[in-house]
Amino acid sequence: MKGLKNVSTLWARKPPPVGSTPCDVVYRENKLSLLRYRPRAEGVKYKTPVLLVPSLINRHYVLDLLPGKSFIEYMVSVGHDVYCIEWGIPTDEDRFLTFDDVCDRYLGRALRTVSREAPNDKAHVLGYCLGGTLTSIHAAVRPEHFASLTALAAPIGFDDNGLLSKWARTGEFDLGAITSAFGNAPAWLLQGSFQLLRPTLSLHKAVSLLDKGDREEFLEGFLALETWGSDNIPFPGACFRQYIEELYRKDGLLNESFSMSGHPVKLSSITCPTLAVTFEHDNIVPHKSASVLLERVSSTDKEHIHLIGGHVGSVVSSHAKKTLWPRISKFWADRDAPAGTNVH
Amino acid sequence: MFQAMFDQWKKGFDAWENATAEYLETVLKSPMVLTPAGMMLSAAMKSKAASEKALAQFWGAWGLPTKRDQERTLHALNQLESRLLDLEEKLSQKG
Repeated sequence: MKGLKNVSTLWARKPPPVGSTPCDVVYRENKLSLLRYRPRAEGVKYKTPVLLVPSLINRHYVLDLLPGKSFIEYMVSVGHDVYCIEWGIPTDEDRFLTFDDVCDRYLGRALRTVSREAPNDKAHVLGYCLGGTLTSIHAAVRPEHFASLTALAAPIGFDDNGLLSKWARTGEFDLGAITSAFGNAPAWLLQGSFQLLRPTLSLHKAVSLLDKGDREEFLEGFLALETWGSDNIPFPGACFRQYIEELYRKDGLLNESFSMSGHPVKLSSITCPTLAVTFEHDNIVPHKSASVLLERVSSTDKEHIHLIGGHVGSVVSSHAKKTLWPRISKFWADRDAPAGTNVH
Repeated sequence: MFQAMFDQWKKGFDAWENATAEYLETVLKSPMVLTPAGMMLSAAMKSKAASEKALAQFWGAWGLPTKRDQERTLHALNQLESRLLDLEEKLSQKG
């Protein structure tokens, strides 16, 4: 009954404190902000900084969801120097932004900004979801600033029989019509597509609320995730068109037909240490679509973490704090710049 | 008592939800659904684009800048800023 009581007071609760780990904006370009998180009181432990690249269509704070449930807060607390890209909210003029603008120019400059603070001019780069696709493409063409690449539930193979793949490959789905009508791919279209991946999910959530609503921690996490989940942002039009046409429809990364700024993207050019994280019940990025990265890279130092769970819950849950986050931190710590390397 | 009843009901609900989600996934993957849905969505978008184009032509005929003109100008400014940042980086590397 306490669950019912708690649920009935949901409307009156304060908004959850999402994205609250202290940080400073160290670089801006167009809508992009590069955030640097303030180090723990005793200073950073590892020399090589970490750059987090979230998906283009979601807000960055999924990686900094709530105090005590934040991937970023955890990484700062164990001594990493953490940076994160906040892509910002594209406005109407960003309809002309291309994949090259985002993946080469914006991501490249953010990475160079981070690397300037690092020994050997290199940083560990983690891309989550579409952010992982962007970082993999960037690493294949411009590998010089990568100390390591971590692809967290990142789609690499797009011919995967998943729902998103089926929809994107439907010939009658005219991308040009969408970008002509709206400029950017609207957030409601993207959000609607995600909801259709499991149309019964809202009902399932409602029942879970009744079942577990008596637990304050669950309720807080639930609200934070719902806040993030309904905070989608538009996808820059030209970039969206190229993403669907070249990656989804032509499976451009595995077929090696994709190029960035005129350079062919060959995943076999990636030689830095590579970690792929996949989830068994991920219905947004099926795990085979993500793990194929490790089959294609030439890195001799590569690792695969495969866990039970879904695309978001497995990354942000309190369980992740004990299972996933320490393993990612260890991957970076083991590959930190050797002692004696000078920081610029 | 109430909790036990709820738990029992929830088991049934979970089974129903799983079965329904699987069924809906099959439906939503079917060309019988995707083809007409894609056509309808595209037709709606094309009609929106056509009405906006007509409106833009009307403003253009009066010699006024259209929304698209403003978007292009703002985008050009952003590109210019980006090129300047490129140059600044190159200069600082040489300096």
